[in-house]
Amino acid sequence: MRTLRFPLSREDARSLRAGEMILAEGEIVITAGLPTVQRLVACADEGRDPPIALFGGSLFHLGSYSQDTADGGLEILYMNPTTSTRFNPLMPRLIRHFGLTAVGGKGGLDAGCVDAMREVGCVYLSFLGGGAPLHSAAIKAVREVAYPDLVAHYRLVRLAVEGLGPLTVGIDAHGNSLFDSLQRQAADRLPEILARLDAERAAS
Amino acid sequence: MPITYDAVKALSAQLYDWSLRRVPADTLAGLEAALATETHDGAQKVLRMMLGSARKAEAEDRFVCSDAGVPVYHVTIGTAARLEGDIKAAISDGFDALVATISPPLLKHVTNPLTNERGYKGRDMPIVTWDVAGGADWVEILCQPKALGSGRWAALETFSFPTLAQIEEYVMKVVMQAGSQHCPPVIIGVGIGGSFDVAARIGSKATMRAIGTTNPEPVLAAMEARLLRAVNATGFGPMGTGGDTTALAVHVDYASGHGYTPVAVCFNCWINRRTRARIHADGSVERFE
Repeated sequence: MRTLRFPLSREDARSLRAGEMILAEGEIVITAGLPTVQRLVACADEGRDPPIALFGGSLFHLGSYSQDTADGGLEILYMNPTTSTRFNPLMPRLIRHFGLTAVGGKGGLDAGCVDAMREVGCVYLSFLGGGAPLHSAAIKAVREVAYPDLVAHYRLVRLAVEGLGPLTVGIDAHGNSLFDSLQRQAADRLPEILARLDAERAAS
Repeated sequence: MPITYDAVKALSAQLYDWSLRRVPADTLAGLEAALATETHDGAQKVLRMMLGSARKAEAEDRFVCSDAGVPVYHVTIGTAARLEGDIKAAISDGFDALVATISPPLLKHVTNPLTNERGYKGRDMPIVTWDVAGGADWVEILCQPKALGSGRWAALETFSFPTLAQIEEYVMKVVMQAGSQHCPPVIIGVGIGGSFDVAARIGSKATMRAIGTTNPEPVLAAMEARLLRAVNATGFGPMGTGGDTTALAVHVDYASGHGYTPVAVCFNCWINRRTRARIHADGSVERFE
C-alpha cells in the first residue's frame, strides 16, 4: 500500500486507480458543514481567498471536535467522515475553481462531480465511517481553524496527519467511480435477485 | 422500593455514554462472521478496519463515531413497578446532564428542522417512546442514538393487500436507494402493517433485536433469511466500496391492520449503537448490552 504526501500532487492524483487503497501523510483541510461549503463557493464566485488556502489542496468531508488548549493552541478531540453526497451540487464548483487534487468522506459523489474531477485531476477518497479512533490517532497537529462562528464540526480545519487510512480510492481522476459502477452492477443484478426471492419464497 | 427520578436520570445518561464507546457484542460477532466469508479483498480490509476501530474505541474509551446522533430512548415500564418522581423529565434531564459532563464533549446534532440550526436541545428531544410490560416490577430503558448517516435512508410506502413478493421488492427498492451511503454493513429493520406510525415503530424496533437470533414466526424467519441473501447479492459491500457484505441482518416484524399495509424499512449503520438496562425494584441495575 502506497503512502502519499498531501496536499496530493496532480501527478500522484492521476496515478491512482479506483479500488486502490492508500495511506495519507502531510496536510489536509476538512469540514462537515454545508454552510461552510456554501461559504467556500461564495469565495469562488466573488473572487475572494478562502480563510484557509485551498488552491491545489485536499478538502475532505470530515467532521471534528476542535477546541482551544490552555497554552493558546488548538486540538482535535476526534474526527470522522460525513456523507459526501450532501455536497453534490456544490463540489464541482469547488473542485474546478480551486483545482482540488483530492476530496473525500464517505458514500461517494455524483456524476457531475466525477466529470469535474476528471477534468481537473482529482480523486475521491473513502474513509471508514465509525473510524473515529483510527482517524483521530493519525492527527499530528492542528495548523488552522477557520469560521469559529460555526458549530465545531462545520469549521474549516487544516491538519497535519500521518498514517491516515487506509483510504479507498472511490473515484479516480480518469472518470472511474466505484459508487457508480456498484450502483449499475446492483441494478443489473436486481431482476435476477428478485427472481431468486420468488423461487425461494415458493419453495419455503 | 420505588424506582426513582434519580435512578432513571443516571441510567439515561450512562446508556447514551456507553453506546458511543462500544460496538455491541452481537454486532462484533456479525462482523467477524462476515470477515470469515467475505471474498472481496478490499472488503476484507474494510471489515478488519471496522473491527480494529471498535476494539480501539473500547480499549481507549473513545467514541467510535464523531456523530453521536440524537438521543433516542425506548422505555418500558412494568405495571407492578413503583415510580417516584417525574420519570419523563428524568430521561430529558439525564441527557442534559450527560451533555454537561461527558468527556470528550458531544458535537451539536439536535437540529431544528425549520431552520437547520443545531444545538444540544430542541422540541421533543430526546425522542422517547413508552411501552408497558404487564406484571413486571422493573423499568427498562433502551438507548439507540440515531444519526443522518443511516437514518437518512429510512422509507415507508403504503400498499393495499400486497403480496409478500411486493413487500420484498419494496425492501430491495429502498436498499437500492441507500446504495453505498448508509455505512454498510447495516442492520435492516422492516415493519409491515398496523398503521403508518405502527409500521415505522415496529420496523425501528426490529433493528434492536440481537443479530443471530431467529424470528419466532416461521414465515418471517424465512423472509429474513432470503432478504439477507438478496441484499448481500447487490454487491455494495462494506462502506459501499464493493463486497459481499452489505447487511449483517434483516429483521422483520408485522402487525395486523386493515388491508392498507404500510411497509417501513430502516437501517442501522455497522456500529449499531444500542444499549439496554433494567432498573429492578430493589434498585439494582441489570445491563443487557
